[in-house]
Amino acid sequence: MNRKGRGPIRVGRDGTYLLCIDIEDRRALLRLLGELRDTLLEDSESKDTTTDKFRRLFPTAYHDDPESDVEYQRLMKDELMASRLDSLLVARAALERMPDDDTLILTANELDVFTRSINNLRLVFGTMLDVQESDDLDDTSDDPELVHLHLYSYLGWLLDWSVSVQSESLEEH
Amino acid sequence: MPTETDVRPVIVDEPRASERADTERPWIVLVWNDPINLMSYVTFVFQKLFGYSLEKATELMLDVHHKGRAVVSSGPREKAEFDVFRLHEHGLWATMQKDSSSR
Repeated sequence: MNRKGRGPIRVGRDGTYLLCIDIEDRRALLRLLGELRDTLLEDSESKDTTTDKFRRLFPTAYHDDPESDVEYQRLMKDELMASRLDSLLVARAALERMPDDDTLILTANELDVFTRSINNLRLVFGTMLDVQESDDLDDTSDDPELVHLHLYSYLGWLLDWSVSVQSESLEEH
Repeated sequence: MPTETDVRPVIVDEPRASERADTERPWIVLVWNDPINLMSYVTFVFQKLFGYSLEKATELMLDVHHKGRAVVSSGPREKAEFDVFRLHEHGLWATMQKDSSSR
């Protein structure tokens, strides 16, 4: 995954943003976003959203009050699931219209949704890798989870750029 | 038409002072530290959702990072639930509780 040269996301004209990533990266993102959506959809249909790797996507709302949390989740969990599924769908649709060797123009809303979807993926990989605060992630090791480490690292890089360009716009307003 | 004798005083069971204070206490929304979310992302979400300046959002993010949590908003229960939902939508670990500091 190419991380050289200038950033993968830049501010465009008229409030738009430009996404410029390799075709291999785009394919990988499309696959990951699709897989996450399919798995969430399956879990949603079976009403099983307690899968350990998804626990960061559906956190508790009441820290010390399990009874209130059950009620909150009863009322809000489906809405949160729908929001996640919708974001993943919009992010995928944007990537699918990306020309093979060109730059994709994203609206502000699309970049917002793309950012949240990338962060969702990162939360899942981070949970699977059991990332801890003190971890110094070494993606040059022979770790059997090396592929996941690479993806986690790549998603962090992409997310950081995405935040950077959107922060510029926030400050301008 | 009711006569004067029909009008009887109604006994109102007024809440005791402690109960009233408990109901009126505002709710606070906390964001907890987690090892996955990027510091830049957390700062950005605080700016975007609550309209905080970069300085304020950074200060809150650093509280989350160093102290383990920070209060990012407060108000009635409905507002707290709405804020928690939006923070969850953005992948942050947020919870809500009554503000014990305002007793």
